[in-house]
Amino acid sequence: MLGSAELSFNVDHGYLEGLVRGCKAGLLTQQDYLNLVQCETLEDLKVHLQTTDYGNFLADQTNPLTVSKIDMEMRKKLCGEFEYFRNHSLEPLSTFFTYMTCGYMIDNVVLLLSGALQKKSVRDLLGRCHPLGRFSEMEAVNIAETPSDLFHAVLVETPLAPFFQDCMSENTLDELNIEVLRNKLYKSYLEAFHNFCKDHGDVTAEVMCPILEFEADRRAFIITLNSFGTELSRDAREALYPTCGRLGPEGLRLLAQAEDFEQMKRVADHYEVYKPLLEAVGDGSAGKSLEDVFYEQEVKMNVLAFSRQFHCGVFYAYTKLREQEMRNVVWIAECISQRHRTKINSYIPIL
Amino acid sequence: MGSLFRSEPMCLAQLFLQSGTAYECLSALGEKGLVQFRDLNQNVSSFQRKFVGEVKRCEELERILAYLAQEIHRADIPLPEGETSPPAPPLKQVLEMQEQLQKLEVELREVTGNKEKLRRNLLELIEYTHMLRVTKTFVHRSVEFEPSYEEFPSLDSDSLLDYSSMQRLGAKLGFVSGLIHQGKVEALERMLWRVCKGYTIVTYAELDEALEDPETGEVIKWYVFLISFWGEQIGHKVKKICDCYHCHVYPYPSTAEERREIQEGLSTRIQDLYTVLHKTEDYLRQVLSKAAESVYSRAVQVKKMKAIYHMLNMCSLDVTNKCLIAEVWCPEADLPGLRCALEDGSRESGASVTSFMNTIPTKETPPTLIRTNKFTEGFQNIVDAYGVGCYREVNPALFSIITFPFLFAVMFGDLGHGFVMFLFALLLVVNENHPRMSQPQEILGMFFNGRYILLLMGLFSVYTGLIYNDCFSKSLNLFGSGWNVSAMYSASHPPAERGRRVLWNDSVVRHSHVLQLDPSVPGVFQGPYPLGIDPIWNLATNRLTFLNSFKMKMAVILGIIHMTFGVVLGIFNHVHFRKKFNIYLVTVPELLFLLCMFGYLIFMIIYKWLVYSADTSRAAPSILIEFINMFLFPSAPTSGLYAGQEHVQRLLLAVTALAVPVLFLGKPLFLLWLHNGRSCFGVSRSGYTLVRKDSEEEVSLMGSQDIEGGSTVLEDGCREVTSEEFNFGEILMTQVIHSIEYCLGCISNTASYLRLWALSLAHAQLSDVLWAMLMRVGLRVDKTYGVLLLLPVMALFAVLTIFILLLMEGLSAFLHAIRLHWVEFQNKFYVGAGTKFVPFSFRRLSWKFSDNGA
Repeated sequence: MLGSAELSFNVDHGYLEGLVRGCKAGLLTQQDYLNLVQCETLEDLKVHLQTTDYGNFLADQTNPLTVSKIDMEMRKKLCGEFEYFRNHSLEPLSTFFTYMTCGYMIDNVVLLLSGALQKKSVRDLLGRCHPLGRFSEMEAVNIAETPSDLFHAVLVETPLAPFFQDCMSENTLDELNIEVLRNKLYKSYLEAFHNFCKDHGDVTAEVMCPILEFEADRRAFIITLNSFGTELSRDAREALYPTCGRLGPEGLRLLAQAEDFEQMKRVADHYEVYKPLLEAVGDGSAGKSLEDVFYEQEVKMNVLAFSRQFHCGVFYAYTKLREQEMRNVVWIAECISQRHRTKINSYIPIL
Repeated sequence: MGSLFRSEPMCLAQLFLQSGTAYECLSALGEKGLVQFRDLNQNVSSFQRKFVGEVKRCEELERILAYLAQEIHRADIPLPEGETSPPAPPLKQVLEMQEQLQKLEVELREVTGNKEKLRRNLLELIEYTHMLRVTKTFVHRSVEFEPSYEEFPSLDSDSLLDYSSMQRLGAKLGFVSGLIHQGKVEALERMLWRVCKGYTIVTYAELDEALEDPETGEVIKWYVFLISFWGEQIGHKVKKICDCYHCHVYPYPSTAEERREIQEGLSTRIQDLYTVLHKTEDYLRQVLSKAAESVYSRAVQVKKMKAIYHMLNMCSLDVTNKCLIAEVWCPEADLPGLRCALEDGSRESGASVTSFMNTIPTKETPPTLIRTNKFTEGFQNIVDAYGVGCYREVNPALFSIITFPFLFAVMFGDLGHGFVMFLFALLLVVNENHPRMSQPQEILGMFFNGRYILLLMGLFSVYTGLIYNDCFSKSLNLFGSGWNVSAMYSASHPPAERGRRVLWNDSVVRHSHVLQLDPSVPGVFQGPYPLGIDPIWNLATNRLTFLNSFKMKMAVILGIIHMTFGVVLGIFNHVHFRKKFNIYLVTVPELLFLLCMFGYLIFMIIYKWLVYSADTSRAAPSILIEFINMFLFPSAPTSGLYAGQEHVQRLLLAVTALAVPVLFLGKPLFLLWLHNGRSCFGVSRSGYTLVRKDSEEEVSLMGSQDIEGGSTVLEDGCREVTSEEFNFGEILMTQVIHSIEYCLGCISNTASYLRLWALSLAHAQLSDVLWAMLMRVGLRVDKTYGVLLLLPVMALFAVLTIFILLLMEGLSAFLHAIRLHWVEFQNKFYVGAGTKFVPFSFRRLSWKFSDNGA
């Protein structure tokens, strides 16, 4: 299969790759961030965003401007771009896109389930769902009472169905079980996505596999961190780790044994990639949080994806970078609106 | 001519705008469109500028206006677009306008909101009636099916219990009915089956009428469905599922009587709603049509206002904060107009202190402004497409007005085709004021913008067509041929002649396939045809050979003249930019190089034409061989064109060879010598340059003093320009590259001009083929059918002539003419690295509603 991507990729996906590279060029630059940080009010932010690729996307919003409006419009814009890509895609890229949306779908399902537990109205919850993970059966999620119910009634026909194999327990859905369900779903989702990219071969595999492996390991670390001090047993915890990552069976086993952050750090010391990351994590207000460190690493990997040509990874990378940008803008906007300027610079720069 | 030969002289002016009058002054300037503003706040981000609040207010107004326009458009009220453009609103009126518009928007939103609510209500009621009507047919069926319900659950053993308990509890059938999107029916049914495990029966039927979707406003097909189920629990689930699929659920009447009652009630309510809705719509229409009268002019006003504030954002503030300082580029000729506009603006605002301006000297390169009219515009556009000229550079557009159509015509030489093109262009020119022409479509617009180019191209093609004697590939015999066939007959000559020459007699004429006229026989060639090619060549078999030789030589002669002209134009640039040394060190060697080689070639061509006659033609040497021999120095002496040819050629070659090193090294060495203080020689010239240098320094000194109070950016710019580093290596490299390009270019460009011959040949042959394949066939058919046949043949001939010969060939000749100008002509003297003068003018704003972005 060597070199076949160079020969055939552009026939089907050349147009979209060109588009996505053009879109990537429209990401906010360092200069833009420097200008955004100087803004005094959200109106200023809007004026500056108008000079970037966002254009007058906020023009129709009536005053007063809020952070959530900005967030929503930005999501809408990303979603519009994504829908355009998806509608113009051919196999295997369209399957790739489906895999991309699955992650958001899982989040949405979990959001709706936990919302239903707390008796929130579906309409409110729908507004908070990520538009990329929308599907028509989504609103019926709260009918289900057990995971198998959920599977049989609602999700059988969605792309999420194959990920359900591991979580067909008869448990009722309570807070903890929902979290477990999410992580199990994510685990099988990541593994399936990883397999898909691997089977696809070529540059796509070379680019996507490291990104997904990193994603898997990140989840493993985060799960470990979050499970400290909960009733989750070690075995149950290990069952949640996605296995496709670099940590491999050995690292995951060690991670399952970890009891506190220091032990987790010791596990990471065995791995060249993660050692500097966990060392960069500071405690308290001075250092960065583990999440930010991972985000930074993710941005780095996604930007690198653009240095190769003829692969599907650019679409994934672009979506992730856009999302990071949105998080940055929202962060800056929050800092501005809450007059909390001291931490305004801790956004994650996209290089 | 002056304005087209060079761009206009510009000056940098500083405007001191009193803060009270700045807006009015700019409004006056915008109407006139005289000056280009420079951004003095380049490193200030857009939201930190002074007038950002006003810009935001304009944007808000634009948003309201766009909303109004959208509503007016939706109500199908024509939006009058005034011809006149009202001036930017005075500041006092702006607030009033804003209030009015905001009030209007609030009112409109309220009314449209009400209308939408009413419409939605109406739609619901209509849906309900439809549902009732359709489900009536379901009921009969469900009654028929009722017995099977009882059996159905018994298939499932465990559900038997449910069923019996339900009966015991007195649970009865529940119904949910409503409307659903066409596309979602199947998914709904499947979901119901999966969730309720078959305890429901779904019946549905397509609604024969398409209804509007209240959420998207689209008109789509709907399905009416009826779900029958047992029990409360399942009922909840069914309702949730219906919600999930966005069904419009309506209460289902249990008895026929109730159904009838509801239907009656609905129909009266629908009637009522219709009348209310009509009233609301009428009112809305009134409001909108009143708004429509002023929307256009207001949109124009707001755009002008926004433009003014954008310009004001480019100004810097005075130290005292009392006035704004703007820096503008202004053509020197327009300075009085600028002053006048400033005074007008000040007077209008009634300020006590008027705004004023003064010019400041600068070393920066001003933008290029070449004023064009409708005739020269097209030619200027062709030049600008290559590159906008540097400030005060010789503008090739002036010469292109003649050379461009001429070179085109050389390639497109056909009297008939040229005349058709001329007529088409004339049609466009005569009708240029027609309103439909002012906003033409894309392709017609291209022709329209180039109508004067087309006109000249057509005229010149008529001329070259006359010279080639080609009219739809046939020759015209206007003056009578200069050749006499009968003189070839032996009978007409004295016997002494007959022996020396090949003359014709009856048997020769009868038996030979091809006959040759001999111009040396007295009486056969009576002198050249007065204009162009003799029509007798149209009959000759060697016509092509003859024309090829003629056109090829013509192409080379035209090309070299064109290029020489280009090099000579360079002199004007050197004189104007006070770089006289360039004339001696660059232009003269270039001219020598070109003329000694290719100029001599032209000389040979013309010499051969003049000297050799029909009698001596057999002794004439080949020009090609002679030209090659000029470089190869053959050992054996050749016959040559004239005596002493060898010496002349050696001399020319020596001059050519000498020109090359001068071209390569002359300018860099001279500049180096100038830089090192011209220590060795040349008193008078050095004196001149010394004076020059001093005055330059003076100017820059003055400049920095003058603008000290103004911007610091400019000052930096001045210093940068004056303290340019002397880099000998770079100058040498540039000159070497330029020289290599020129020397190689002379040869390749000369060859490139042969396209004149090639395209002209192709055009002539193509039109010849068209004639031979169509018209000749048509004309050969005998009389009776011929009449019938000639009509379609003529039509086809006309169509093919227009599409292939006029459009296709014309386009190709046009492109080649462009190329000859851009590459072969302009690279001899034209730099084209300037920037265009873009004045701040309201006329440049677009008044369309659609593109209200940016």
